[in-house]
Amino acid sequence: MENKKQKTVDILKETRKASENGKIRVKEFMGIKKKIKASLKLESKTIPQIIDETKLDASFVTYSLMTMMKYGDVQVDKIDDDDEYYFYKLKEVK
Amino acid sequence: MDNQDKVQKFDVMVIGGGIAGEEAALNLAKMGFKIILVEKDYSIGGKMVHLSKVFPTLDCSACITTPKMSETTREPNITIKTYSEIKEIEKSGNHFIGKIIKKPRFVDEDTCTGCQLCEDVCPVSVDDQYQYDLVGRKAIYIPFAIALPKVAAIDLDNCILCGACEKVCPANSIDFTEKPEEILFEVTSVLIATGFNLFDAGKKVEYGYGRYKNVIHAMQMERQLVPTRPFNTVLRPKDGKSPDNIAYVLCTGSRDKSVGNPICSQICCMYSIKQAQLLMGALPMADVTIYYIDIRAYGKGFQEFYQQTKDMDVEFVKGKIAKIEEKEDGNLELFYEDIENGGKVKTAEHDMVVLAVGLLPNNEIASVFKDEELELDPFNYIKQKDKLINPALTSIDGVFVAGTAASPMDIPDTILSAGAASAEVAGYIRSLK
Ligand SMILES: Cc1cc2nc3c(=O)[nH]c(=O)nc-3n(C[C@H](O)[C@H](O)[C@H](O)COP(=O)(O)OP(=O)(O)OC[C@H]3O[C@@H](n4cnc5c(N)ncnc54)[C@H](O)[C@@H]3O)c2cc1C
Repeated sequence: MENKKQKTVDILKETRKASENGKIRVKEFMGIKKKIKASLKLESKTIPQIIDETKLDASFVTYSLMTMMKYGDVQVDKIDDDDEYYFYKLKEVK
Repeated sequence: MDNQDKVQKFDVMVIGGGIAGEEAALNLAKMGFKIILVEKDYSIGGKMVHLSKVFPTLDCSACITTPKMSETTREPNITIKTYSEIKEIEKSGNHFIGKIIKKPRFVDEDTCTGCQLCEDVCPVSVDDQYQYDLVGRKAIYIPFAIALPKVAAIDLDNCILCGACEKVCPANSIDFTEKPEEILFEVTSVLIATGFNLFDAGKKVEYGYGRYKNVIHAMQMERQLVPTRPFNTVLRPKDGKSPDNIAYVLCTGSRDKSVGNPICSQICCMYSIKQAQLLMGALPMADVTIYYIDIRAYGKGFQEFYQQTKDMDVEFVKGKIAKIEEKEDGNLELFYEDIENGGKVKTAEHDMVVLAVGLLPNNEIASVFKDEELELDPFNYIKQKDKLINPALTSIDGVFVAGTAASPMDIPDTILSAGAASAEVAGYIRSLK
């Protein structure tokens, strides 16, 4: 069964290579995901706090954090006292 | 034709599965005509399915359009081909013959349950075009939450061929060997409902779209205002700040010869006013300013809606924006001609800017007609041969047009236009019998 499931991608691989852009994006996303997860490990943080800590590009952090939220890695905690920035935390794995 | 037994025969081919195409297909199907509806995207629904609420009633757009989408898919007289491209259409006597290519989505449409387990294991993240690039999506993905059909698709251009999706799919629906399918057709009439293109905000270089992340376009704001939004609420894409001083720049790419689009897009004033009202609800403490040249509130209830928005303290400034500059904190400085106060150049600071992008013609379909020319009007929309009396007629006998393929218009006018077009198509087919 396992072999049969593997088959169609293997057939395609005989004539087509994996996407170079796809490979770059995997590496990029895995990298930033790791950094954001590390940053949120101990406490919830706002996006500027994550940016400060990781020194990553601001809009890339927002984009990636929101993508992580879409796929269930991160959730909203609370908003700050000035109602400006939300705190985000890692989603608890049950 | 050699492949006569393979030719699929219908009364009408509707091209485009937006609100115009769905409405016309349903009208004609209910009259007993057999319809083939060809949609180039993975799902039917067009732009309307991605909108938040609609002016001036503020009804939920998805709530109106999803029942129509599902009615279209369930109607026995309608055959839908999604992710399909028309290659050619030729006149043959009283009929049109031609070829459609149904492109492979590499996922079996009949067995995929839309469970999204494949998305969970896919390691690739690229821009999500259905969220207008505000977040990422996987290389295998369900296009959007209310897509119809709700079937995954593989974006092979970004796929690393790891095979994780194939391993995890409980329905064995993944098929990387799927090939394009050629469909030959014969129809009596063709109805074009291919809609519009959105103006590319990056072309107004002086507004900084693309360079300044807190300058977004109106469709991105629509997405931020829907329940299936890319962020947890309305936020600045640069740093996740909840904006409290938002500016709208009307006529971005409309009434503007410098970008080749001299006409009014008809809907941008009203959708900006609508978004301003929705923002007042989502962010009660925020200020919203609309920079305009003229406000065109021409439809039923529009002027009252505009007045109501003014009464909610949305500020309207008659001023043409010359340029936008970004400050260090991500705020934006707008340089504008203050038309009502002597035309002096003034500046104003906002923390987010929404460009009210206009509509552009989508006339690609004209090139598939092989033996007769599908004429365009001076603004490159599909030409309406007899705009006043028979608005759906085109330059080719038997080919009709509906919705924004013919000119910019809002949803109520699109539905009216689709109704008129279905009546004209039905009359045409009956006249041949
Ligand atoms: C930001 C924004 C906000 C708006 N808000 C409102 C509002 O509040 N109220 C309102 O009344 N209106 C609003 N509108 C306008 C509304 O979106 C349009 O009136 C409506 O979508 C027009 O429908 P349509 O079917 O003509 O075109 P579309 O929605 O563009 O649908 C066209 C369909 O045809 C398909 N297609 C295109 N080319 C081909 C091809 N070659 N082959 C097969 N298929 C093809 C497309 O994929 C698409 O599915 C808004 C528009 C914008 C941009």
